[in-house]
Amino acid sequence: MSKMENIVEEVIAGNVAGVAELTQELVDEGAKPSDIIKDGLVAGMDVVGGRFKKNEMFVPEVLIAAKSMHAGMDIVKPLLTDGESSSVGTVVIGTVEGDLHDIGKNLVAMMLEGAGFEVIDLGIDLPADEFVEAVKEHQPDVVGISALLTTTMPAMEETIKTLEEAGVRDQVKIMVGGAPVSQEFANEIGADGYAADGSTATDIAREFVN
Amino acid sequence: MIERNFLAQDVLTAEDVEMIHEASMELLEETGIEILHEEAREIFAENGARVEGEKVYLSRELVEEYVEKAPGSFTLHARNPENNVTVGGNNSVTAPGYGSPYVTDIENGRRDSVYEDYINFTKLAAASDHVDVLGGVLVEPKDIADEKRHAKMLYAGAKYSDKCLMGSALGKKKARDCFKMASMLFGEDEIIDDRALVISLISTTSPLKYDDRMLASLIEHAKYNQAVIIASLIMSGSTGPMSVAGTLTLQNVEVLAGIVLTQMINPGAPVVYGSASTITDMQTANLTVGSPAYVKFVGATAQLARYYDVPSRAGGSTTDSLMVDSQAGYESMMNFMTATNHGVNFILHSAGLLENYMTMSYEKFIIDDEILGMVDSYQQGIEVNEDTVAKELIAKVGPGGHYLAEAHTMQHMRDFRTPTISQRATYTSEEDLVSTVESANQKWKDIIADFEAPELDPEIDKKLVDYMENL
Repeated sequence: MSKMENIVEEVIAGNVAGVAELTQELVDEGAKPSDIIKDGLVAGMDVVGGRFKKNEMFVPEVLIAAKSMHAGMDIVKPLLTDGESSSVGTVVIGTVEGDLHDIGKNLVAMMLEGAGFEVIDLGIDLPADEFVEAVKEHQPDVVGISALLTTTMPAMEETIKTLEEAGVRDQVKIMVGGAPVSQEFANEIGADGYAADGSTATDIAREFVN
Repeated sequence: MIERNFLAQDVLTAEDVEMIHEASMELLEETGIEILHEEAREIFAENGARVEGEKVYLSRELVEEYVEKAPGSFTLHARNPENNVTVGGNNSVTAPGYGSPYVTDIENGRRDSVYEDYINFTKLAAASDHVDVLGGVLVEPKDIADEKRHAKMLYAGAKYSDKCLMGSALGKKKARDCFKMASMLFGEDEIIDDRALVISLISTTSPLKYDDRMLASLIEHAKYNQAVIIASLIMSGSTGPMSVAGTLTLQNVEVLAGIVLTQMINPGAPVVYGSASTITDMQTANLTVGSPAYVKFVGATAQLARYYDVPSRAGGSTTDSLMVDSQAGYESMMNFMTATNHGVNFILHSAGLLENYMTMSYEKFIIDDEILGMVDSYQQGIEVNEDTVAKELIAKVGPGGHYLAEAHTMQHMRDFRTPTISQRATYTSEEDLVSTVESANQKWKDIIADFEAPELDPEIDKKLVDYMENL
């Protein structure tokens, strides 16, 4: 097995130290950083994503795999040249005002990171303005808006309206999620996508950036 | 109200309970809990708790002193006193599903719930012989504006039933609106005495937090001696440790902090120790209620509440199933029966729910009502006396005879429960193959078509409507 294949296996196994070690070895041997990302780190996470979808892996295993991928990323990222990017795209994510729930949102953020996205997690209980500021500051491809309570769902619509009023709505794709949220609701409030779980969110985000 | 005659054996040993208690006391004292409400923090501080920033730390002495003040049982009052219930002791009080944003029936499928659904489920709950308490967020009427929603819900419960009502947990004003409207049902304009007229569901934000609106509502309820259920819904593995014992400990810390607060505000205020905790399904990260782990939480919660001598809330006819199928049936029976057999005093979510708490099904409501009836009948126990032992009758009939035509049989044949939708007939043809879901569909439509609301004084009705319209 080549070192590259080993990285893939160690990412799947969630071996943080192993991935870091192998990545460093490949870098020292002169492998191209962008190849290490594509054929090693992200390739491993692709397998993880597929297995998770088929219920073959548990959530904590996915998270530790993502952590091991990041251990490799931390080594190769600084070596990328100006034209190259380690990230598939950027996602700004947060829970709307009045809602303190964040487990689902955190899970989506971690799955997105695992798939190679750069994720800016704004946190919880966020006034719509904070989404606007984050869009202006980070220029993301995707904005993810989360709510768990039926009483805070209207704040999702409010957030989208505020993005429109600020003139930044069309710069981004918006996806929404949370237990009471549905595809129908997403359509009603003018979101571009609805994700029922972390792996769907990842699929949708990929479609958005392609 | 199910009056229980026996109790299943405890799931925890006395040593287990002590260990959970001890760990909870240390966590309350050293780790503390985040209280996102200024007045609540002031109340804690005034009564001797250590408050640093938004964190509140409670010493063992303080917890023991205030938990001791909470009543072991209390009466919840209905506008028809025959429907009053006692929460605590050997009773299991039932309330239907709560909070679901969707409804479904087999003809129209799954959809947003609206006020019409709220009224329909109120009628089904009012007509049930087994549901004691309604109101609250029976289903979420999404077509009603937020500022009127709580009042419209209370009004539906008040108009179409004369049973006990749930109030609002969403902040001070909504809690007070519900108190005022409930008072009108008793011919008053305001809460005037110690009677509990509403019970509301206060949820913690796990791990170790209480949010602003829930605390504001809790304070208001305690001040006016209205009842609250303080409940944690911890998802073991994500918002709590991936062990039943660890999640029970975390839950205990959260719920005890809330109970202490109610008693600091008003010693003796009616409060229930609640839990909807369960495990996270690690393949999907979803909440799972149809699991054996869930019923362990139910039994242990009842036991912990007894340890602190306060009434308990846990369990319900809950399921993870997306449709009214066998899974929905077996999980609901397991979860409801465990709750009663382990002595849970208040069983929310007793009828109608699918997909954990997401959807209320018209057909499932009727099927769950059958489950409640069966468990109630089972819990009535066995009457043993000279007449029922029937020694002389056995001697008289002797070997090889039969009992079908005996007076004793005639006298007792109606002691046994007749099912409302369960099938007991013999197979004769394909036409007999009617599923419980189809029978339940016919049944709920009949109940709603034949429904007659209990009488409500037109003056009171007008006062309620005026109050509601002026919000």
